[in-house]
Amino acid sequence: MSPSLFNFIDARDKFVDSAKCALTGKSSKPLTHTFHQIPGNETEKKTTLDQALRGVLGDQIDQKKATCDDYLSLIYLSIDAVTEGICSATTPFLLLGDVLDCLPLDQCDKIFSFVEEKVSTWKSNSFYTAGKNYLLRMCNDLLRRLSKSQNTVFCGRIQLFLARLFPLSEKSGLNLQSQFNLDNITVFNKNEQESTLGQKHTEEKEENMEVEEGEMGEDDAPAPCSIPIDYNLYRKFWTLQDYFRNPVQCYDKFSWMTFLKYSDETLAVFKSYKLDDMQASKRKLEELRMSDGEHVYFAKFLTSEKLMDLQLSDGNFRRHILLQYLILFQYLKGQVKFKSSSCALNDDQATWIEETTKLVYQLLKEIPPDGDKFATMVEHILDTEENWNGWKNEGCPSFVKERTVDDKPKRPTRKRQAPEDFLGKGPDRKIFMGNDELTRLWNLNQDNMEACKSDSREFMPSLDEFFAEAIEQADPANMVEDEYKVVRNPNYGWRALRLLSRRSPHFFQPTNQKFKSLADYLDSMVSKLAKELPKDIPSEEIKTGEEDDDDNGDNLLKESNDSPSIQSKLVTNQQMDDIAAKLGAQWKSLASHLEMKAAELREIESDSEDVDMQAKLLLVAWQDREGTQATVDNLVTALNAAGFSQIADSLSEA
Amino acid sequence: MGPVELLHMSVFSLSYSPCGRFLAAGNNYGEIALFSLSAALSPDATSQSQKPVLTFTAHEGPIFSLISTDCHLLSAGNGEISAWSWTELIKKNVKPLWTRRPNYKSSLEIPEINSMIINPRDNSLVVGAGDNNIHILDMEHGEFKSVLQGHSDYVHCVSVREREGEILSGGEDGAVRIWDSRTGQSVHCIEVYKYEDCARPQYGKWISCVTTDSDWMLCSGGPALSLWHLRSLSPTSVFPLTGCQRQATFYQDKILAVGEGPYVSHCLLGGKVKAEIPCTSQSLNTLQLNTNSTEHRVLTVGGSSDHIDVFTNLSYKAFSLSF
Repeated sequence: MSPSLFNFIDARDKFVDSAKCALTGKSSKPLTHTFHQIPGNETEKKTTLDQALRGVLGDQIDQKKATCDDYLSLIYLSIDAVTEGICSATTPFLLLGDVLDCLPLDQCDKIFSFVEEKVSTWKSNSFYTAGKNYLLRMCNDLLRRLSKSQNTVFCGRIQLFLARLFPLSEKSGLNLQSQFNLDNITVFNKNEQESTLGQKHTEEKEENMEVEEGEMGEDDAPAPCSIPIDYNLYRKFWTLQDYFRNPVQCYDKFSWMTFLKYSDETLAVFKSYKLDDMQASKRKLEELRMSDGEHVYFAKFLTSEKLMDLQLSDGNFRRHILLQYLILFQYLKGQVKFKSSSCALNDDQATWIEETTKLVYQLLKEIPPDGDKFATMVEHILDTEENWNGWKNEGCPSFVKERTVDDKPKRPTRKRQAPEDFLGKGPDRKIFMGNDELTRLWNLNQDNMEACKSDSREFMPSLDEFFAEAIEQADPANMVEDEYKVVRNPNYGWRALRLLSRRSPHFFQPTNQKFKSLADYLDSMVSKLAKELPKDIPSEEIKTGEEDDDDNGDNLLKESNDSPSIQSKLVTNQQMDDIAAKLGAQWKSLASHLEMKAAELREIESDSEDVDMQAKLLLVAWQDREGTQATVDNLVTALNAAGFSQIADSLSEA
Repeated sequence: MGPVELLHMSVFSLSYSPCGRFLAAGNNYGEIALFSLSAALSPDATSQSQKPVLTFTAHEGPIFSLISTDCHLLSAGNGEISAWSWTELIKKNVKPLWTRRPNYKSSLEIPEINSMIINPRDNSLVVGAGDNNIHILDMEHGEFKSVLQGHSDYVHCVSVREREGEILSGGEDGAVRIWDSRTGQSVHCIEVYKYEDCARPQYGKWISCVTTDSDWMLCSGGPALSLWHLRSLSPTSVFPLTGCQRQATFYQDKILAVGEGPYVSHCLLGGKVKAEIPCTSQSLNTLQLNTNSTEHRVLTVGGSSDHIDVFTNLSYKAFSLSF
């Protein structure tokens, strides 16, 4: 059976009737009921219902008897219908749009309150995508109808509603390219004309003025001004507004110079003209507030020259101007993606901006009441502006946080170093001190005493080195005068004595000679030494001769393993090879006497199959560990202890 | 005027024309310059309007005092007083109407005239001179009618107390004397430096400015600027200003004072210094308020430079006139 034809007109009429019933009955049941009754497919029925509802609204408006509540109930009905699924989601918005277009502004106010209340509904999934453009268009139409200065509150409400409805990153609400409102031109008198302000208004404004009280309200004649006016300041001051309107001008050199000059003058005036504390004139302010409703708010500057003095003495006005400066400076200094590359500050400009910013903040702090608090607040707000600027530069990313995906690979855990490694027993034989520098220092030589005994710390000169000069001078052939002899130098003498006590046996020999002075004593010593030392022989030989002579002194200083004592010699490679060959597979028993750990033994075993090799490895490991203590002596002891006395003997003999 | 002369110029005296549209300034070279205030204050003023419309040499020495009557300008410097007609001056005709010299006892040295003031009661000119005396010149007859003697050192400044018909004078000897203008006797003598509150021995005892408001008197110089109640002859407030003040005046509920220091001090009657408005010159000698005209009601100050600062709003310097 073919589906029955959908009769549009019939369906629509039925819908209209049931809609009216639903309205009177304040329930959407009749509508739903009708919907299901009418034959036809969903889409057709839905669109028909849309049309029907719009028709009902149209009738209501036509009749002019309906109140806002009636319209609202119809719209409620349509929302319910959408929830039920019998109506397309755009219908409520269309109805709203129709209503707002047809009603006068005061009634629009009420309708709009409804819209505001229902913002959560609009944001819900079923309505949002369908309706957001309609809502946007509707609000913009309303805004165009409204006057910003007269219906300010309503305009504000619409803006706030839009802000709540759309997410932050909604592009249509952003000034992405950071464009300026270039239409905001401040008009002021450039030559002497009728002032922009009527006389009457001048009389009403009785703020805390010092000078002009006598004059105000005096002169009723329109043409000449009754007070002296500083036209110079007036003109320069209002010209500044042009720079605030279009900051890009500042990048041009000539405009910048003008801006600089005028700003310096204006700020100098602000600086010298300090404002009163408002305490005294609070009374006056209260009176003023009661008489004049809109006291603090103004949308645009009043630029009559007669008001200049009044404006200069007004704290709020000053705050406006100083704040304009700060905002301008922030723009000039800031990184904005859409600034062209020619818009860059040079160093002088940057410096001037820095200095002037400080001055501006100082002036802000001085303006009563609560200047300090205001200044800190302004600074804070400008700081947050930086964040917004950065956000815009990145193309306004959404603030919704995405859930992070858990696919980070597991990092392999680091192997910790075994404790033995730290103490020099590990394969590197290095002691780790935890710090690179300490490790390096410690590994130069672990044993402090050993380090002190090393040759590089031998600072005492040998006898011949030290006394060479003295011996030469003592030679009569050289004819050196007494007073120039180095032995006369007390410093030299003292050092000579010390050296003699350490190296020379003559020092300890008793003598009957009585010496008058240190110099004489040294002379005799020098002559004795000279006799001992063979003359005209190169110094190396003298040194070796010295060594033979001066056995006593040496042993105190030199390390025992330097002297040719077999017992203290370090084990050589050759010796180790021999021992290894002899040890063979028995190297393990030696190992315990060499104080090798089981871990090391295992390592050696794993390193090589050949027993000879293993034995060699054992000895090498022992040598590495012992370092300078890897002497033949110690090895012999160990060998004997292990029972390898033959090997020990052969080692000792070698 | 070469640049060196301009550098060393000091403005000692200022006076407004009776119509209030012109300002006369006297400097240390003996010149008087006439500035047109109406031109300088008009909306289409140029830098040319801040130059004098007329400059002429009036005396041989510095002009310490300028005063205007309702049709004359009187100038005094090194011992002689000259009178000029304002209307003639505006027409740039620089011929003095008359020149007088007070009767000085000593003819060897001519004492300078530091200060002059008109006593409206009997239309006489009170002249404070360097010979320690005050000479009274009768304006109608042009004769010096009396001499007030009493100061032991030269007279810095004079003022009149209109209601009582008394003359006040302050001198280098540290005394402020109050004279009865009819009898010519010194009625009171206040030695300001003897009062501990005001005295500043580090500066000295001289009184460089005296101004009065019938009941109150301001005096300053070596001692600090102080406000005196004349009935009780006692100091009411002392103002903590650094430096010596050379001229002070009452204005509405405030006191304006200039002296050492590149600023005009605004003080409240209670003794508080409310503001110090910066000026061009390093130190200021004179300040005058133009009470003759409401349109050009400005404050001008002059001092140790060739610039005269003009204030339309007392709290900041609007522009400067210069010689």
